Amino acid sequence: MDALQFPERRIESSRGLANAHYVSSDRYYEEREALLFSSWSGAAVASDVPNPGDAAPIDFAGMPLLLLRDHDGDVKVFQNTCRHRGMILVEEKCNLRGTIRCPYHSWCYNLDGSLRATPHVGGPGRNFDENVDRRNLGLFEVRSCVWRDIVFVNISGDAPEFDEYAKVIKDRWKEHEGKPLYAGPGSSSFEFDVACNWKLAVENYCESYHLPWIHPGLNSYSKLEDHYHIEEPGLFSGQGTLVYRQIVGEKGERFPDFDGLSEFWNEGAEYVALYPNVLLAVQRDHAYVLLLLPQGPGRTIERVQIYYPFEPETRPDLAQLMETNGKLWFGVLGEDLFVVEGMQRGRHGVMFDGGKFAPKMDGPNHLFHLWVADRMLARGRRMAAE
Amino acid sequence: MNLDKLNRSVLAAHASGDGVALAQLYQFAGNEFVSAGSIDEGCFFLTQAYVYSLEFGLESAEEIRIALIEHGRER
Ligand code: FES
Ligand SMILES: [Fe+2]
Repeated sequence: MDALQFPERRIESSRGLANAHYVSSDRYYEEREALLFSSWSGAAVASDVPNPGDAAPIDFAGMPLLLLRDHDGDVKVFQNTCRHRGMILVEEKCNLRGTIRCPYHSWCYNLDGSLRATPHVGGPGRNFDENVDRRNLGLFEVRSCVWRDIVFVNISGDAPEFDEYAKVIKDRWKEHEGKPLYAGPGSSSFEFDVACNWKLAVENYCESYHLPWIHPGLNSYSKLEDHYHIEEPGLFSGQGTLVYRQIVGEKGERFPDFDGLSEFWNEGAEYVALYPNVLLAVQRDHAYVLLLLPQGPGRTIERVQIYYPFEPETRPDLAQLMETNGKLWFGVLGEDLFVVEGMQRGRHGVMFDGGKFAPKMDGPNHLFHLWVADRMLARGRRMAAE
Repeated sequence: MNLDKLNRSVLAAHASGDGVALAQLYQFAGNEFVSAGSIDEGCFFLTQAYVYSLEFGLESAEEIRIALIEHGRER
């Protein structure tokens, strides 16, 4: 571990994380455990499985998960691996009418994960065996919680309760808390496949320093000085704006607001990276989530879903505006891709020393580095104790 | 029981992914063998039928399970 290169508490004298954190495969797996698996991470959106019995395989940083909605309508997450010979259970999105049948030897699991049938396990036509106790062979369930439609998972199973983890952000956004969010159609959902380490996408998202250069379109109505830092050590960081402008359609149409917001939100909007990998936008009339799905040290899938305060089917008059809005965000978020990919290539420069933070501008970013360092040091202490 | 015909129908149902047909075909074959006194073959086919009935949430799953239990093949 390059402990010497860990960031310092004082941003003025701190450098950023060393190159290894972005390019090393070993470090990627260490961080996967320390930053992603042992925290509450965003793995999917619940609107991917809208109906009872809907199931979807998820690759979460290489870990095969099975997202499903059971017959009571509850979302559950299991490891997508059969308890027999380890076959992947569900390969593509589907609706499960009955049990989950393993495609290899057809062991069947109920939607609560319990093992229901073990065909021919005791020889042809004999479906039980003294040494195969179904009661102990259910699917491994992964701790999960849905908030703002995001399916959070804690793979290690020992993170603090989700409500504790989310308390501060829920409190910050209490006016938005619990308001229904409806996943938008069509262009409201999109993905980018990006050649960068997932952390670079977090770092770019939480700073506003780049806005005038990378998003000149946004900046024509949103100046640097209209932005403020959001800094919550150990939990999240990002930026807020005081000059949010609603999108307006050709006929003057606008999206309705979320119910009961105070005046602050008329022109206020916030963009937060909830550590480790959930990027959020909260605005008066729509919101979005961008999930960072790591695919290796140098590759990340960015999954975006936009939400509205109304059921899209009930407002055909806003269909065009939703379509335009999705394309707008596709464009704006796409503007950041060359930067995060460029920084990824930059991290292969062996003389790069982690970089120099601009103390006035890079506070939210520095906080994320500190969080990474703290989690990695804690991991080091855990390993030393074992 | 015409095994060739069963084979052909089963292969066709497998190929088209028709689980409901598979459940019915196997259950029919299973019952035929059982009534002819061939319990092993019968339970083999009933097991196949059981799995597809479970997978597709068919009501037949329960009666097949009971039949298998009666023959000491499930519990
Ligand atoms: S690996 Fe799943 S039943 Fe054998
Ligand atoms: Fe940006």
